[in-house]
Amino acid sequence: MSTPDSSGDAVRPADPPLDPRGVRFAAAVTTVVLALVLVSGSGWLAAAQALVFALAAFAGMRFAPYGVLYRKAIVPRLGPPAEREEAAPVRFSQTVGFVFAALGAIGYLSGLTVLGIVATAFALMAAFLNAAFGFCLGCEMYGLLARVRTARA
Amino acid sequence: MSGTGLVVVLAVLAVATAVGFVLRSRSGRVREVTEPTSPNGWVLADARPTADERVLLLQLSSPICTPCRQTAAMLDALAAAEPDVRHVEIDVADRPEVAVALSVLRTPTTVGFDRTGREVLRISGVPRHAELTEALHGVPRA
Repeated sequence: MSTPDSSGDAVRPADPPLDPRGVRFAAAVTTVVLALVLVSGSGWLAAAQALVFALAAFAGMRFAPYGVLYRKAIVPRLGPPAEREEAAPVRFSQTVGFVFAALGAIGYLSGLTVLGIVATAFALMAAFLNAAFGFCLGCEMYGLLARVRTARA
Repeated sequence: MSGTGLVVVLAVLAVATAVGFVLRSRSGRVREVTEPTSPNGWVLADARPTADERVLLLQLSSPICTPCRQTAAMLDALAAAEPDVRHVEIDVADRPEVAVALSVLRTPTTVGFDRTGREVLRISGVPRHAELTEALHGVPRA
């Protein structure tokens, strides 16, 4: 059952809170993949990363492939997290990542190599800031957009 | 292999590292405000200082924001320990006009006001505890 919230949007099924270490891990894997896209110039690798983002953004964080890898392979060694964070901003950041990775794939595959490079470079920047500094560009934008949305309403 | 791609990777990582260090060094820092342009904080918070209260910490948060909750927990504990400090948290989704009035673009941002409602300090991100308590002791009784 979904109920409309105060802003009138239908509420999507909520993702359970996330392990912040898993979010950092996923960002690190994403950083490596996007760096490989730029070095290899492979549009198909960019498309694969876009698919990874799409699963997290549109199916839900529990289907995020790097998150699944983290839960299966790494959590058993680390133990449970000390704290958790809300999934919604992270999921939103995956949507932003999807847009850039998809543009990158389209650019490389269609021969618009400059588009491929620029879009992938932006995505790499955001992923690296998250992996290395824990700073989530997409999450910050989520807070900002929420503000703009309510200011207009 | 793409030589251009490799150069782009190295350039992006260098720029992102610089940006990351700048963000990290600013986050949680207490910035003292000497020439405030903000409106009266107690009015924004819809509150009046009691006889004991010396400082208002007005925290601006957004609905889904993990560092906002960490900040709120820290400032609540601080206000409980120091009776002359009041902590008020405002959700910018409920009252976006407060964010506009204080020119706040990021959450959490905490703005400190003295007893008369004059802005004295500002922190974006989760405050550094030691730095904040020290700055608070420097706020005059006004």
